[in-house]
Amino acid sequence: MKPAPFDYYAPETLPEAIALMARLENEGCDAKILAGGQSLMPMLAMRVARPDALIDLRRLTALNHIAEHDGIIAIGAMATKRAAEESTLIRERQPLFHAATQLVGHRQIRNRGSVGGSFAHADPASEYPAVALVLDMEMQAVGEGGERLIPASEFFVTYMTTALEPGEILTEVRMPMLPAGTGWAIQEISRRNGDLALAGVALTLRFSGGLCADARIAAFGVDATAVRLTAAEDALAGQKPDAATFARVAAIAAASLAEPMSCIHASADYRRHLIGVLVERTLAEAAGRAR
Amino acid sequence: MAIEIPTLPEQLPTSAPRFVGKEVNRIEDPALVSGTVEFIDNLSLPGMLHCAILRSPHPHARVIKVDTRAAAALEGVEAVLTGEDVGRWCAPAFTAPEGWGSYCMAVDKVRFVGEPVAAVAATSRYLAEDALELIQVEYELLTPVANPDEAMAPGAPLLFEERGTNVIQSREYTWGEIDRVFADADRVVSRKFRWNRVGANPTETFGCICQWDLADNSLTCRGAYQTPRFMGLGRAASLKLPANKVRIITHAQGGGFGGKGGPRGTDIAALLSRKADGRPVKYIEDRMEYLLAGGGQSWDRYYDAALALQADGTVTGFKVRLVDDQGAGAEGYGTISAAKPLAAFTGNYRIEAASYDLTLVATNRAPTYPYRGYGPPPHNLVLESLMDIAARELAVDPAELRRRNYIRPEQFPYTVPSGNEYDSGNYAAVLDRVLEMADYRALREAQAKARAEGRLVGIGVVSTVEPGVFDWNAYATVGVPGVGVPEGVKVAVDVLGNVTVAVGFNLQGQGQFTVAAQVVADYLGVDMNAVKVATASTDVAMPHFGQGGSRLGVAVTGAILGACEKLKQTFCLLVAHLMHTGPEQVELMNGRLQLKGAPEHGMSIAEVAGVMLARSDLLPPGMEPCPEATFVWTAPNRNLPDDQGRCRSYLTAANATHIAQIEIDRHTGQVKILGYFIVDDCGTRLNPASVEGQLQGGVAQGVGAALFEEYVYDPQAQPLVTTFVDYLIPTIHEVPMTTKDHLVTPSPFAPLGAKGCGEGAIHTTPATLMCAINDALSPLGLEILETPASPHRLWKLLHGHGAA
Repeated sequence: MKPAPFDYYAPETLPEAIALMARLENEGCDAKILAGGQSLMPMLAMRVARPDALIDLRRLTALNHIAEHDGIIAIGAMATKRAAEESTLIRERQPLFHAATQLVGHRQIRNRGSVGGSFAHADPASEYPAVALVLDMEMQAVGEGGERLIPASEFFVTYMTTALEPGEILTEVRMPMLPAGTGWAIQEISRRNGDLALAGVALTLRFSGGLCADARIAAFGVDATAVRLTAAEDALAGQKPDAATFARVAAIAAASLAEPMSCIHASADYRRHLIGVLVERTLAEAAGRAR
Repeated sequence: MAIEIPTLPEQLPTSAPRFVGKEVNRIEDPALVSGTVEFIDNLSLPGMLHCAILRSPHPHARVIKVDTRAAAALEGVEAVLTGEDVGRWCAPAFTAPEGWGSYCMAVDKVRFVGEPVAAVAATSRYLAEDALELIQVEYELLTPVANPDEAMAPGAPLLFEERGTNVIQSREYTWGEIDRVFADADRVVSRKFRWNRVGANPTETFGCICQWDLADNSLTCRGAYQTPRFMGLGRAASLKLPANKVRIITHAQGGGFGGKGGPRGTDIAALLSRKADGRPVKYIEDRMEYLLAGGGQSWDRYYDAALALQADGTVTGFKVRLVDDQGAGAEGYGTISAAKPLAAFTGNYRIEAASYDLTLVATNRAPTYPYRGYGPPPHNLVLESLMDIAARELAVDPAELRRRNYIRPEQFPYTVPSGNEYDSGNYAAVLDRVLEMADYRALREAQAKARAEGRLVGIGVVSTVEPGVFDWNAYATVGVPGVGVPEGVKVAVDVLGNVTVAVGFNLQGQGQFTVAAQVVADYLGVDMNAVKVATASTDVAMPHFGQGGSRLGVAVTGAILGACEKLKQTFCLLVAHLMHTGPEQVELMNGRLQLKGAPEHGMSIAEVAGVMLARSDLLPPGMEPCPEATFVWTAPNRNLPDDQGRCRSYLTAANATHIAQIEIDRHTGQVKILGYFIVDDCGTRLNPASVEGQLQGGVAQGVGAALFEEYVYDPQAQPLVTTFVDYLIPTIHEVPMTTKDHLVTPSPFAPLGAKGCGEGAIHTTPATLMCAINDALSPLGLEILETPASPHRLWKLLHGHGAA
């Protein structure tokens, strides 16, 4: 379990990193960004990933920020999950993202794992992509051609694949603050505490005139990316927030899934069933928080 | 002169033991917590090379050609080893039964995924792994045998063609009138059980540094060896060296649990050293190698078992048919795990007749190895589950049914039908205490309330006996020779009164160094910090075995007491000479050799040792100037087995009753442990804190086996679990902190009355959790008889029933 040979770079600044990416790209060199290393390092050790070069962003302290501007919370791509977990801003103003962070791995992993790394890695069983869909988050990417914002709905392309172009670096993720009165919840089923989810659901929910409105529901761990459960969202609109509604919507959610993934721990049928259970439970939890 | 070993702490030559029986701080811990222990991977030797092993991706294939030219040409590669070398220099692994062992590297065919086919020694592990990618292996694929049914089918492909069968051994043992008790039974309960493959996973995997001395044609192996002398003998056999030319230097180990013998890794590193002109070669098994093909897989079992009962609940007979998938041969001694249940076949109960129809089968899964507890955890699951099913059918409380059948206190020593003798115990008292501690009645009331709400809450009450202090005779049924497991020490007092205990094992986590220091300090009346425990290498150590079979705490205590008794006798002779009296007038008490009845006349241990070493003029004629003594302990009164495998095997019989309260989420199949209670009795607790650690650790592994861990193979015998992403060891979040209490019924036969206590919890926890789960399912008429009770399995069961 030792990596195959690679060249190692640790640029001091973002422009330097971008220039390096461009140069390596031009040279036909397969370069990979190293952030917290919690997924990439094991993949290197197992020789599953065999890049020609690693570009370690650990010196780019400018990407460690967690800040609010113009009603938006911005998290630098190199901020650790532990920093996000400890951020009062995130805990108070975007509790769904905070709760999702606490479900990522264990504390030791969150101590080193970066927020941006989870987005760029795009594991379909991880929590952030689903939360990104629910919150309409935006990802800031910077390359030689300048910077651009990519909406979550376009960012996650398929299994461990994002809309980042070669030569682009994810620098920041942005999310709105949770509007007052919005209910939220995230739950997942995993074999052990801290494991990747066999199935998970994140959602937000509002009430309008005592009826459900503006539900945004995403499932993770069941498809090649996190998926919005729009049939369930539609079915919820205008309905009374009671147990009967939630059970009916849960059944619609489960039925709306394409063929879920299957593995030794959970068959497709079981995953589909779990999504129904989780939708029902998260709706009830979120309804308890909504005003 | 006969050596008497004290069987109670009160018999120690001290007015009150200061250390034995106390929760003293472990002497191992300062080095462990400060990171100064020299584990094998911390050690580098001058000129050392690093080994990497190329492993078969196929479960069953003939090796046609191995081309290593490109690898050998890579800069930094110093030696390459193939099956051709191994076939020339080595013998296949010795096995029990004989003739089911492979070479350390495939010579003509591979029999499991992960079997070594070539190896490289290079100047770094990185380079060695790069070189592996340059080796070309040509295979001719053979049909794999994925499970015992396939292996036993007529015309099945054979793993060892020369054997003519894949059945390693098949035999039925009968004890008592089994047919009569089943014919006369008022009720028979029978079930089939499937225990899926689990195993040991120590923090540190196996590692070694081997150096072949080409001038002397001798071998030195440093490494994480659990049983140094046994390893040395095995290496001598497989590498065709005289046993006294193999020296094993065992390092401290990051846990063991039976899974890291490392014979293949040692042989390969040794042969690479031989090919690399005698340079030392380090091999560190990585976690993927360990999970794929290390010693971490055990107990792959198919049971069909029945219990015979009378109408009043008296259990009269227990029949077990076991088909045990040993994997690719018997090199890992997985066979002894199937033999061990004989030591406590009928558990805590008076069951007059029993039978064991045992079939050991070779398949193309990885070979199986010992795992903490050896065979009883699955066996106990079978017996205890049948006890619960019988209780349900008889509408008797499961705790009550057990109580009715317990061996009674006055019946000890008690010989079980399968031949072993239990030393002592009071099972009903242990049960009473745990029922009281858990408030069993309240648990049942809470369960009734939960059931009324539609919740699946269950309670398991399980009693087991832990055979302690193994003996080779326990495994005679699978072809292991010999009676007795010697464990030797040397106790030496220096000229200033410091004491050194030389042992043949190194620290592994259980705290035996501390036990050794406690016993010698109390015996010789010195402080524990005046005692040094040192590990001797196999070339100079006394006969020893080391950790294994729940024995070392007891065995090393016996050895130290024996050595101290010998020292005392010598010291008394000397002091009597100095005081012009007879040795019978001198006694050892609280660290002084003194006149009986006039304790003010005496000498300290240090003074006696000082005279011995520095004043030969004062010694009696013929006395050696040697304040040191050796003693090799083995369990007393062991015997050869009869034709049904019956013998006095394990010296001690600890016992425990566990109670678990669990809830199944009927919608997801997840099991939550709501409460866990343990009362055990392992006789004298030499270090109560260490006993507690053994219990909690055993519970953790039991939770893993019952709920999480499983080595999964596909229908072509390909392993699907090769990382910790899929092999699910429970974490601190999944393992309950247990509520514990204990009773003390000393062993009348064992040193200081202490019983083996390292395996009792893993013997008990899987059965307790599975019984609790089935108790929860019982209102639905459902049962799960396969481990682990994963959420997916439980959901399928509930879902098929329409309950989820």
